[in-house]
Order: sequence, then structure tokens, then C-alpha cells
Amino acid sequence: MERPRRTCAETCLELLSLQIVHYYAGQNQAPLAASTEAIGFRVGRQLAERCTWDRPRLVDQLDVMKFICKEFWIELFQKQVDNLRTNHRGTFVLKDANFRWLSKLSSDLPAPEKADATEQNAGPVANDSMPSRPAANEAAQDYLHLPCAIIRGALTHLGLPCTVSADASALPACDFTINIRAG
Amino acid sequence: MAAGSVLTFVIVGRDDHPIFEADLTSKASEVVNRDDRAQYLHQFVLHAALDAVDEQIWTTTNMHLAQVDNFNQLRVSAYVTAAQMKFLLLHDGKSEDAIKAFFKDVYEVYLKVMMNPFFTPNTQITSPSVHQRIRAIAKTQLKA
Repeated sequence: MERPRRTCAETCLELLSLQIVHYYAGQNQAPLAASTEAIGFRVGRQLAERCTWDRPRLVDQLDVMKFICKEFWIELFQKQVDNLRTNHRGTFVLKDANFRWLSKLSSDLPAPEKADATEQNAGPVANDSMPSRPAANEAAQDYLHLPCAIIRGALTHLGLPCTVSADASALPACDFTINIRAG
Repeated sequence: MAAGSVLTFVIVGRDDHPIFEADLTSKASEVVNRDDRAQYLHQFVLHAALDAVDEQIWTTTNMHLAQVDNFNQLRVSAYVTAAQMKFLLLHDGKSEDAIKAFFKDVYEVYLKVMMNPFFTPNTQITSPSVHQRIRAIAKTQLKA
């Protein structure tokens, strides 16, 4: 493990994750979500094992969450989580203001044919009209299965079984909601 | 005949089931003469030590818990990973530094096993090359 770390272009990772989504969307044996979840879960476990190998152990829930927000996020996305909120009863919301894996996802969607006369979707993100936000979130969900599963795998491996969901209504920011199963 | 030195190594998974066991004493004639009862005793002592390990993991963030339990002359040292995998070594008086180095090297081997996509975590490790490597580590670290 002391070998010099080899580097790889980030574009490779982005293209790979895009292709994973396209490939499994085209497979008939299992729904896309299930396949990418399985991949991500395994990757999350192995990555968590690897990242924790030379640091002191994490004894409680908050330590684990801080590890995820800092070291783990840096390993995966080259930055830390920008905001962590909790209700101290097992729900955490991780807010990443600039989620790298979705940075290439265009947030410039044509507005759906709703009864909304003012369609100003051609402008920058800040001017998104309301109807296109949920649509952007839905389009991004396919690509969010993988990161959610990686996080879930890591947390489960560190002893916190949980569910992870993501909300990308405000691209490029992305919120991950983690619900830790009690008991 | 030299007195047999005791050296049993066990990796215990999250649900307290062993996923790897090895008797690391040097081969020689001791294997043939080894009393079956001694084997059972070792397993029993290691199993009983799990409770002591569980108590101690909450008190420290170190991975290496030096000696967690002893029984007559037998001592148990433990090393716990972040994912709650416990490495237990049953010995009769090796230096804690040597044991710490041993655990660290074994952790590297275990990490490589985990990275293997064909390995399901928390299942038995049956690969003969892993056995060989751990024996080699034991020879370098614990006999020196």
C-alpha cells in the first residue's frame, strides 16, 4: 500500500460512470437501479476498507459521518462535502455545492408542456423556471444511483446500515439524504 | 523436544464467526504430536476473548488493542479494523511490538483479499496463497 499512487484522468471516471448507466439501461436482465446499486455497493465497501486502513478507528456515528464527508468524499470527488445537517435522530443531509460527477449534466432542459406560460429556461441555472427543476432532478436520478450506492456501501461496511437518496433539483449542487436504520 | 510455542491466528467477522484460522507454529514435528485437546482449548480461549475485545473497542480509537485477555500462560492480543473485523492472536509471550507489526502486515494482506471482486466479504478465506503469505509474515515478524 505504500506504492506511489498512480493517477488517472478524471475524464475517464466520468465517461465510465456515464457508460455504466447507458449500458445497464439497455440490459434486460435487471432494472438499471438494481444493477448500478449492486456495483456501487461493492465499490463502496472496498473503498471504505481501503480508506480506513491507516487511520484510527471510528467509534461513533458522528465520527463515521465526518469521515464520509471529509476523507471519503475527497477520495471520490476531490473535494469535501460543503454542508452537513442532522436531526440527531439518524437522518443526515450532505450538501455538495458542486457535485463533480454531475458537472457535465446539462441543467438546461426544455420545460415540459405544463400550464405555465412563462418559460424562461434558456437562461443560466439561476433563472430556471419552476417546472424544469423536478425534471432535471428526474433526469439526474439515473446517474445518481451509483454515487448513492457507493455511499451506502461504505456506511454499511463501517457498521451503519442505511438508505441513501439524492436530490439534484439545484444542479450543480446535490443533496444526499442518509437515513440510518436504528438498532 | 523443544516445548511447543503457541501461536494461533484467527480473523473474526462482524457476526463473530471466524473467516480465517491458522496455526502458525513452525511445522517440524510439533504438528504431528499436537494434542487435539490443545486445539480445542485454543479455539475456546480465542472465542472467550471476543467478549474482552468487544469491551475494549469502545475505549480507544487505536486499531491495535494490546493484550485483551489471558488464560494461564496463554495470552490473546487483538487488532480491530474500522469495519469491525477482529484479528486475534493467541500466543504465550511475544513482544507487543512484534505483534503489532505482524497485525499490520496481515491487514495489508487482508486488504488485498477485500479488493478482490470475487471475494464476498465476511465469508471464509480459503485461498492457499493467503495462508502462505500469512505464515511467511508470521515467520519474519514473530520469530525474529
